[in-house]
Amino acid sequence: MIFFDAHTLSSLVLIAVIGGVLGLDRTAAGQFMISQPIVAGPIIGWILGDATVGLIIGALLELIWVMDMPIGTFVPADSTAVTVSSTAIAVLGGAGEPVLPVIGFSILLTVGMVPITTVAEHRSRKWMSKLADMAIAAPGEVVGQRLARAHLSGLVVFFLKSFIVYLVLLPLGLAAIVLFRQMPDTIHRAMELFVKFLPLVGVAAVVRKLSIRTADRFLLAGIVAAAILSMAFHVPAVFITAVTVGLGWIGVRYGER
Amino acid sequence: MNDEPKKIRGIDLLKVFFRALLIQASWSFDLLQSMGFAYAMLPVLRKLYPDKAEFASRLNLHTEYFNTQPYLASFILGAAVKMEEDRAFGRNDNVDSAEMKSALMAPLGAVGDGFFWAALKPFAATIAVSLLIVGVWWAPLLYLLLYNVWHVGLRINLLFLGYRSGGDAVALIERHNFSKLTRLFKASSLSVLGGMLGTLTAWRPEFRLTVPLSGPLTILFGAAFTLVLIEALRRGGSPIKLMLGLAAVCLALAYAGVP
Repeated sequence: MIFFDAHTLSSLVLIAVIGGVLGLDRTAAGQFMISQPIVAGPIIGWILGDATVGLIIGALLELIWVMDMPIGTFVPADSTAVTVSSTAIAVLGGAGEPVLPVIGFSILLTVGMVPITTVAEHRSRKWMSKLADMAIAAPGEVVGQRLARAHLSGLVVFFLKSFIVYLVLLPLGLAAIVLFRQMPDTIHRAMELFVKFLPLVGVAAVVRKLSIRTADRFLLAGIVAAAILSMAFHVPAVFITAVTVGLGWIGVRYGER
Repeated sequence: MNDEPKKIRGIDLLKVFFRALLIQASWSFDLLQSMGFAYAMLPVLRKLYPDKAEFASRLNLHTEYFNTQPYLASFILGAAVKMEEDRAFGRNDNVDSAEMKSALMAPLGAVGDGFFWAALKPFAATIAVSLLIVGVWWAPLLYLLLYNVWHVGLRINLLFLGYRSGGDAVALIERHNFSKLTRLFKASSLSVLGGMLGTLTAWRPEFRLTVPLSGPLTILFGAAFTLVLIEALRRGGSPIKLMLGLAAVCLALAYAGVP
């Protein structure tokens, strides 16, 4: 089978390792946000030789789960696993195919994996409770060393959880993408259309959590200002982003007086 | 000589800062950040309590239940270091760091969750996505910069502030107006999202909707469709359900011959 040659297998193991390391940033280490889709996608794409696919997937997925917050004991959907998997599957399995349908299918496939990654996350965090026993059971003089060792071994648990999930799910994803490539053109067109609607799902997901109103005044002001600036004055989109940041800022500073 | 506690210096607080980056390394449903807090305190406790029995006893006190927003834990860590230092040097024998921790962790958790997760993160993300979607390839680097200037800066600042103030929450509120910053970031995120929809016709072809409409009508269609999606989410939908539903709709459209 073409997807199980030596190069692909070594790439899968490499991605499982890198994905495991990136996953540590979600909870266990630093939380510098390198695990977020917009960063993790390009990293995985660049490692596999196609950063563009990673950038596209990162942009599509970033907003969808950005408002899923790790508050209290709530464990959010693993957007890192979705991004890493869909980028790897799209790059490794989509060789020679038009990129958007493959990206659409990879995202859909990995979104279906979210319940599996959630179960793995819950299991590993339950298991982590045993680490305290290792530390507390130590005699007085070595309690510091034992506590440090027990605490840091949590990093290994978090890493192994992601590593194993990737090793199991990535080959399945690659097998599925081979089947997808043989599907009728209509399904490919559907997946391309799906990709083009995803940014709107992301915008909706963020607005839903940021505002109590569906038609929020800052959202509407941004739409109108940007549409006028881009269509009537042909202002570059980068400058429009800066204007809209200022719009929100001014709206709060002066609108709430 | 070895039994004397040593004064806490800036370098010791930096050691606490680096260890605090791993405060959730052993996060579990029942222990939460308990072990992480004790792990971050280790270098300071070793310095303050050369007597091993006393060191072990103080360390055990810091393995008690602890959970807050991981970045704002730095403020509580700074305050705990100050309290332990005062105790070790006999300036205050009745320190109760457990009481201080339990008094601060819930309110700081609420403030930190509201600011970092619900305001700063979406603010950085919306700006980065709005740039990436029009072809700015370095947008992920901007995202990391925007987020971490605040994140790392505040984590270090709050650790030292906690140490200097001894956990005085009033000093924290006077120094950082988190509620105002939260409102500013949220409002800006919303207007940036609006700006994204308003520039829909300038998106890169990989993202742009190909509808047979003129420019303004394409923007209107995109905005109206987004409002429908927001309403669907409000009525109990989830992003995953929405994506699956959208995929089904796209399949139906493709089979109906819509390009």
